Amino acid sequence: MWARVRSWLGAVLRRDRLETDLSDELEFHLQLRTDHWVRQGLTRQEAARRARLEFGGIDKHTEACRESLGLRLLDEFRGDVRYAVRQLRRTPTFAFVAIATLALAIGANAAIFSLVNAVLLKRLPVASPQELRQIAWVSNDSAGSLWRGVWYNGNATETTPRAATSFSYRVCDRIRRQSASFSSVLCLGHVEQVNIGAGGRAVLGQGQLVPGNFFGGLGVTAAVGRTIDAGDDAPGRPPVAVLGYGFWERVFGTDRSVIGKTIAVNGATVTVVGVAAPGFFGIRPGTETDVFLPLVPMQPLVYDEPGMLESARHWGWLVLARLKPGVSDEQARGETEALLRAEVRDHPPDATVTDLPRIRLDEAGRGSDQLRGRLGQPLRVLMLIVAGVLLIACANIAGLVLTRMSARHRETATRLAIGASRGRLARQVATECMVLAVIGGSIGIGLALGIRRALPPLLSEGSEILHLDLSADWVVIAFSTIVCLVAGLACGLLPALRVPQTGLAPIIARPASSITSASPRSLVGRTLVVVQVSVSIVLLVGAGLFVKTLLNLRSEALGFTPDHLLVFEMNGTLNGLKDTRLKDLYERTLNEVARLPGVKSASLSRWGLLSGNATSDALLVPGLQAPIHVDVHLVLPGYFKTMGIPVLVGRDISWSDREQATPVIIVNQLLARQIGGASSVGRTVQLGDVHAQIVGIVGDARFAELRAPARVTVYVPFRQHGEHVATFVLRTAGDPANLIPIVEKTLSRSQPDVPISNLRTQDAQIDTAVRQERLFANLVSGFAVLAALLACLGIYGTLASSVSRRTPEIGLRVALGADRLSVTWLILRESIAPVCIGMAVGLLLAFWSTQLIASMLFGLMPRDAATFVAAASLLLASAFVAAWVPARRAARLDPMKVLRCE
Amino acid sequence: MPPRADLVPGTLDLLILKAVSLGPLHGYGVLLRIEQISGGTLLVEQGALYPALFRLEHRGLLASEWGVSDNNRRAKFYRLTPAGRRQLKEETNGWNRSAAAIAAALDARSEEI
Repeated sequence: MWARVRSWLGAVLRRDRLETDLSDELEFHLQLRTDHWVRQGLTRQEAARRARLEFGGIDKHTEACRESLGLRLLDEFRGDVRYAVRQLRRTPTFAFVAIATLALAIGANAAIFSLVNAVLLKRLPVASPQELRQIAWVSNDSAGSLWRGVWYNGNATETTPRAATSFSYRVCDRIRRQSASFSSVLCLGHVEQVNIGAGGRAVLGQGQLVPGNFFGGLGVTAAVGRTIDAGDDAPGRPPVAVLGYGFWERVFGTDRSVIGKTIAVNGATVTVVGVAAPGFFGIRPGTETDVFLPLVPMQPLVYDEPGMLESARHWGWLVLARLKPGVSDEQARGETEALLRAEVRDHPPDATVTDLPRIRLDEAGRGSDQLRGRLGQPLRVLMLIVAGVLLIACANIAGLVLTRMSARHRETATRLAIGASRGRLARQVATECMVLAVIGGSIGIGLALGIRRALPPLLSEGSEILHLDLSADWVVIAFSTIVCLVAGLACGLLPALRVPQTGLAPIIARPASSITSASPRSLVGRTLVVVQVSVSIVLLVGAGLFVKTLLNLRSEALGFTPDHLLVFEMNGTLNGLKDTRLKDLYERTLNEVARLPGVKSASLSRWGLLSGNATSDALLVPGLQAPIHVDVHLVLPGYFKTMGIPVLVGRDISWSDREQATPVIIVNQLLARQIGGASSVGRTVQLGDVHAQIVGIVGDARFAELRAPARVTVYVPFRQHGEHVATFVLRTAGDPANLIPIVEKTLSRSQPDVPISNLRTQDAQIDTAVRQERLFANLVSGFAVLAALLACLGIYGTLASSVSRRTPEIGLRVALGADRLSVTWLILRESIAPVCIGMAVGLLLAFWSTQLIASMLFGLMPRDAATFVAAASLLLASAFVAAWVPARRAARLDPMKVLRCE
Repeated sequence: MPPRADLVPGTLDLLILKAVSLGPLHGYGVLLRIEQISGGTLLVEQGALYPALFRLEHRGLLASEWGVSDNNRRAKFYRLTPAGRRQLKEETNGWNRSAAAIAAALDARSEEI
């Protein structure tokens, strides 16, 4: 086997040498044979002739030699490629349309797949990623009373069973010390926003608290300097940091002398000891970690809360573990569960613990995150859409190739007649399509690589910066190549099968066109129309659903006036400010921006409206048994006026509602209705463990997100609550965007070390909140229009070639008295069956497949009848136009001219 | 001149291997050697010899190199590889077995049945 490969490669690579050697060898033989006959007494001329005769056809034998080396297929393939390129150059319009269609379709597939690969397939660049597990717990307790007061990262709206991935440091430490199933156990902080001061300026970055065994346990090395080790992760050790490679590149320009220098992290001085290996972006996909900090000594800098490591109540640490080889998941799970239960028994987080949670081990080789859960569905849908586009593109090109073939049928017949085999001709047609696919595919893949950096923002939510590792690895390359080859095959297969079987004589004998009705060739063409129409319908329905979703979202009543609002965020806690000093900073800033020209009013709240964030708490109302779970919104005076939320009863929060004053709250209408309407003003209720008086009722506004209706909400004076981030809102007289540079300049001058972030208009923020819906609406509409156009082109092409084939028949009919209407009908009729079948298949497909996008829609059902009807009518109308043009041409044929041609 | 016999189909490769096993040869030499060892009875179509040589080389049973012939011309010489030697042995055994079997079958007389 190996000998053959080597011999074949040698022959292919040194082809010129092979050809000379071959002719030399045969020449040598002929000379010796000539000498032989000369010795027998013939003249040299006669001897040479004799030698040649004996040898037989030199060309035939030379070719047989090449075939022996396995070169024949290659030679024929080369010939086919040359022929195909020549054919394509003779019809540049066809070549351009086909290549552009394929480039678009294959490029779209490659681009979307590179996202799928980055989000769903790629593993972390760590040693043996398949051994990594993330430890999670699952509780059947639905009310949450069991873990009441315990902070954890579970989803509050999730019903039973509740799952969470965070643990107390005590639990994690116990697993690390006592588990026999894991070779290493990593207790980690969440990736958090930190204020990093470097080179004289402050930037907001992503920081993560990591244990001393983090880099060692994962098998990640340092690009420069050293990683964090066990020596760094102990109480009282000097604070150190390892930078992320990307951060090092951006901020320090890969300056190696940064090792040993200090940076400021949340106001504290930290020595840089190393830079993590390039390609390692941390363990949370979608995020690039800028700075890694040893957990034990640095924990007070990131979470300003004493005793977090010893507390049995703070469940805020993630646990990653590496399974020992040979240990089963179930074994490790059981052991970890026993350890968790022992720890919770010894140090109960809450006096009322009744039900102990179960442990779940999640595969973590692709990192620890919900990103896959969030993007998995949209990406799968996108992949299906681009696959549909590719299918249409292939069907379209197959149709075009078929039309070209029928134009060349005389050439084909001649070649069959002079001895070309049918398989050989079929291969030639397939090669032509393959050439198109390879050229189009290369362009498409190039385009996809070019635009891939622009893709992640389209999928990010709100203000998050989605960082995806899109470096093209072999999976993407292999996938794109396969798509390219499959597309080539798909385009070429049907036309290749349509190479005429036999019957050279009839084709040649027959005049260029004779009286025929539908032939099998047009049957294939019509099948292609069915495919195109059905896929177009599916895409049109999808486009309609996404556009309606976007419109529904944009027309939702928000409960506040979003135009003429400018928002930005500030987090003074990252500078170590707390209590009064923090709130004074915010008030100072507020006064400053409120004075800017063009600002009508200004206020601030903890979270911005529709920012995706909310805080909730339990509200106890006298007379009501069960606590009400309410959203808690911390605001300064003037908030309702600035946001345009009406104060219905009572008063707004005032500047005198400060730390020492009586705690007050304001409730929204929805909540007021539950606790006694307007008369609830003046009542005292218990929010968390604070007793507060209700002083007002305001209108309902959407709080956390656009998609969810307004929820029961309590507004609390900002100064009567702990320290937080602040989201400032400014109502402006003119275009709020004009104020952006002014706000930036003013604040960077007055508070240079407190960075602001997410400075933008409220409208822009809502736009980013519906970015994914907008992306789908635009993308699917674009593809659907393209698909419908291609389908129309297909219908037009099939009918046009049918008209030219049936010209004599039509001429005869007209001559015999058929009127124009009946001729038009004759041609139109041909397209009815494929279009109707295509519509039926498409509607059925859409009926089934729109279920897949049910979760991505808003305000309508996936089987929205109006959308289905609209899509079907749109396609029907376009199909009618596409069919009408050739039919009309047929009706206008002059019978005399046609019959004279016969 | 002895009576000529056509080659049994499929035996050309075997004969080439045999011829080359007796010492490295160029293509024409193979032709002469086959005529010589068959006592001039076996006829090889000259042109067909070369595709067969290429095929055997492609399969790794023969190796070739360019050298100089007796009359000082550049010529390509073939020699047997170890794999070729094994193949020759196997095919020779196979041929002998089937030839013996056919000969025995053709020798059969009616009284032996």
